[in-house]
Amino acid sequence: MWAKTVTENFANVIHGLNASHLTDLVIQRSKRMILDTLGVGLLGTSTEVFHKVIQYSKIYRSDASSTVWGHSDFRLPPLYAAFVNGVAVHSMDFDDTWHPATHPSGAVLPALLALSEVLPQKQKFSGLDLLLAFNVGIEVQGRLMRFSNEASNVPKRFHPPAVVGTIGSAAATAKLLALDQFKCKAALAVAASYAGAPMANAATQTKPLHIGNAARHGLEAACLASLGLQGNKQILDMESGLGAFYTDYTPRFLPTLQSYSWLLDQQDVAIKRFPAHLGTHWVADAVSSLRKYLVERDDSVPISRIKRIVVKVPDVRYVNRPFPNSEHEARHSFQFAACAALLDGSISVQSFSDQNISRPELKELLSKTKLEHPADNKPSFDNLYCEVNVTLQDGKVFSERCDTFYGHWRKPLSTEDLKKKFHSNASSVLSVEATEGIIETVDNLEKVEDCFVLSAFLKGTQSTKVLSKMCLP
Amino acid sequence: MGAGVAQWGLRVNPLAQSRNLADPCLFLPIPTVLERTASEETVTSSFASFIHGVRPEHLSEVVRHRSKRMILDSVGVGLVGSTTHVFNIALRYCQQLYASNAVSSVYGRKGLKLSPTLAAFTNGIAAHSMDFDDTWHPATHPSGAVLPALLAASQMLPPSSKPNGLDFLLAFNVGIEVQGRLMRFSTEAHNIPKRFHPPSVVGTMGSAAATAKLLSLNVTQCAHALAIAASLAGAPMANAATQAKPLHIGNATRLGLEAALLAARGMEASPLILDDIPGCAGFSAFYGDYRPKPLPLPASSHEFLLEKQDVAFKRFPAHLGMHWIVDAAASVRNLLINYSGSFSPSLIHAILLRIPVSKYINRPFPESEHQARHSFQFNACTALLDGEVDLNSFTDGCIHRRELTELLAKVLVEHPKDNIANFDKMYGEVALVLENGDVLTGRCDTFYGHWRKPLSRESLLKKFRSNASHVLPEDKVNSIITTVENLENLPDSSQLASSL
Repeated sequence: MWAKTVTENFANVIHGLNASHLTDLVIQRSKRMILDTLGVGLLGTSTEVFHKVIQYSKIYRSDASSTVWGHSDFRLPPLYAAFVNGVAVHSMDFDDTWHPATHPSGAVLPALLALSEVLPQKQKFSGLDLLLAFNVGIEVQGRLMRFSNEASNVPKRFHPPAVVGTIGSAAATAKLLALDQFKCKAALAVAASYAGAPMANAATQTKPLHIGNAARHGLEAACLASLGLQGNKQILDMESGLGAFYTDYTPRFLPTLQSYSWLLDQQDVAIKRFPAHLGTHWVADAVSSLRKYLVERDDSVPISRIKRIVVKVPDVRYVNRPFPNSEHEARHSFQFAACAALLDGSISVQSFSDQNISRPELKELLSKTKLEHPADNKPSFDNLYCEVNVTLQDGKVFSERCDTFYGHWRKPLSTEDLKKKFHSNASSVLSVEATEGIIETVDNLEKVEDCFVLSAFLKGTQSTKVLSKMCLP
Repeated sequence: MGAGVAQWGLRVNPLAQSRNLADPCLFLPIPTVLERTASEETVTSSFASFIHGVRPEHLSEVVRHRSKRMILDSVGVGLVGSTTHVFNIALRYCQQLYASNAVSSVYGRKGLKLSPTLAAFTNGIAAHSMDFDDTWHPATHPSGAVLPALLAASQMLPPSSKPNGLDFLLAFNVGIEVQGRLMRFSTEAHNIPKRFHPPSVVGTMGSAAATAKLLSLNVTQCAHALAIAASLAGAPMANAATQAKPLHIGNATRLGLEAALLAARGMEASPLILDDIPGCAGFSAFYGDYRPKPLPLPASSHEFLLEKQDVAFKRFPAHLGMHWIVDAAASVRNLLINYSGSFSPSLIHAILLRIPVSKYINRPFPESEHQARHSFQFNACTALLDGEVDLNSFTDGCIHRRELTELLAKVLVEHPKDNIANFDKMYGEVALVLENGDVLTGRCDTFYGHWRKPLSRESLLKKFRSNASHVLPEDKVNSIITTVENLENLPDSSQLASSL
């Protein structure tokens, strides 16, 4: 059908896409994203920020309720389940990253799972329904980011998940609720009024709330739309609409439904190997390669022999922290990543514990570390590189460069390593049975008849009854 | 109310005697951060210090007087707003998705209580549902973003810690003051907005500040409340003149309240949120030009902005710009009646409106009530036809009147260069070009209700009574008037909320 505006066009597409539009590759990639997101979220339930938002959200305990990942002892209303689970996903900066830059899955998945648990009993959602709605949410985010050039680079003003993530969550929820075109449009418009959070809160404890809020506000927008609330019918077209968040804004129509081509097909996400800003992954890989020239027999690095460490990265202010004071700052510090990788060989979840952050040996190394910003090193996750030079006291210089880290979309994690990451994360709060159950469910998601099983595993129920309900062929 | 309230576990004065709290983690001291802020003053920390340090004694007579008028008007507007469709949707949504912990009152729904943030949300929506709430300069709608949060919060606190009326009034003024100060950080804020709807930007911050004040958060928590609120701020202008616009105020007040509650529980955010840090935007993200200034630390006296700059109260529920054009239209209507003995539309060849340039209030043929409230053309023609604009002018029946549509077809719009899109400087002019060639002109530089020509007490009370009586009986209406006019003597400010 002919759409007169971009906004109408979006609404038509959201409404018109169905499971047959999903390609194999898209299914495969999105299932990997779902698995990774779940693991990261489960791990995140052990963080302090998660604990705080739980305390706050418990205020809203009521009957209509959804699963809080990793907690079988209480439930929350769907909005707050979406909120806290979204916070969990982003709590350690361990979730997926796309190009142009945003964290797409955390804004969408928690909302969908929370909502799926409270819709009327007779309505059940198959794994395929979930997959489709999930991909609608991802796709909308990707399309919106292509409306502006500034989105291609690492952000400076608004944190992208808070902008496109909110709209993505609204689109995904609208899809799951099977809203008609008019209400899909309204969901987008209402969501725009919730979007946007400034970059300054990145590298603070509040950053995870950007994803938690994107998930819950998108969900709220779609629910309000389904109750009849309307907004501006041209919200995506106008400079004073979504354009308000960008300095250059050129909205474009989506491809025709006759042969829809998904962005995820052409552009995969990056999956992180350790919980820190994506930029630090180049640093870690470069340093790991370089380290072999420096180690002694006991696999330690002789700090006193090192005179100077130069890390060449793009100019990204909010990841430039010479002496991080908290875990949140440490996750957003090129310098910290270089020194931790040098000391320990690799970076892991444990690298960010209070103890490890304040090690004297680490501080000594940090004081010898300097950043440089070569003109050809662009702040774009598709183009950046990292070069590390270590100069020893005796004058010797060692240098290594990383153009593509393992986990980047150009060098994706193997299935085995993806599952390993999930295992390691999920088993911190779930039983082995539940962990395996989730892996298997997501692996076969398009055949699952009722995706409630996923939520049942997530809260930590361990029972063979659940496994048998998966209804796999 | 006991069980629900006790669950909140919040208290007003953290330095008071020990108490068995539901949540012992509420007021964690953070000594290292406090040390830092003592030696390096930033814009952000100056705000936090102000919020924390300002006292009732700092309120002058004029400020008390004006702010009480604002409170009264805002309550009335909220009460009439509880009869709207958008309010009904929001209410149904909240009731469907949330059941318990209902401790806070909802405008016009005696006996119904919601959880505090949702009560704030729905009441905020009510306040802005008809564009009937107050407007300030630089432009925003200050009271609707602050009052609902405070009303809701006042009912959250346990009986032994209820803030009195003076505390309430002080917190209200903190919320207004912070909004005004933030708007003065950018020159683009002086004019009618184009990108972000100001209540959704500064309103959220004001609500966080006011709530932080009412809950007596410490300095560090006040700073974090502001920073968390910034991550919840900002809605684009495109949703103005739609049904979603009231959500901007509803969300500002609710999310600011949430930010303060999160800060009370120890949530931390950027300590430099209001400062200008190149390459990593904080609150500056919402503006093209941004020059933050520290707030003077309250010593013995603090001059509140409300002292020098009053708000405008609306006489009818439409965008502020409409008020100039309506007064101009009413005066030229009189000229026409004097000229020809009666108001006969057939005598009119063309209607020229001389207005400032502002796209979202320039609508030749509005289709909904929301659009009609944001249309110079509609309001001018309604005033020409009826002599005035009131609540009923925006009903479907009136919007689609044939005589009105005929008049609308005769309207032409001009944008004189000297008519600036700024609520302190703009004017409205309506010129009737008659069939016989004569031209009659009416002009308004300052409408009645503008800060340069404020509503009298009688007019303000008339508006309140007219609004409130839609949902409350006369004795209740009168008692609210008495309560607000004597707010600083009220021992328990939650009484205001429960009287709604």
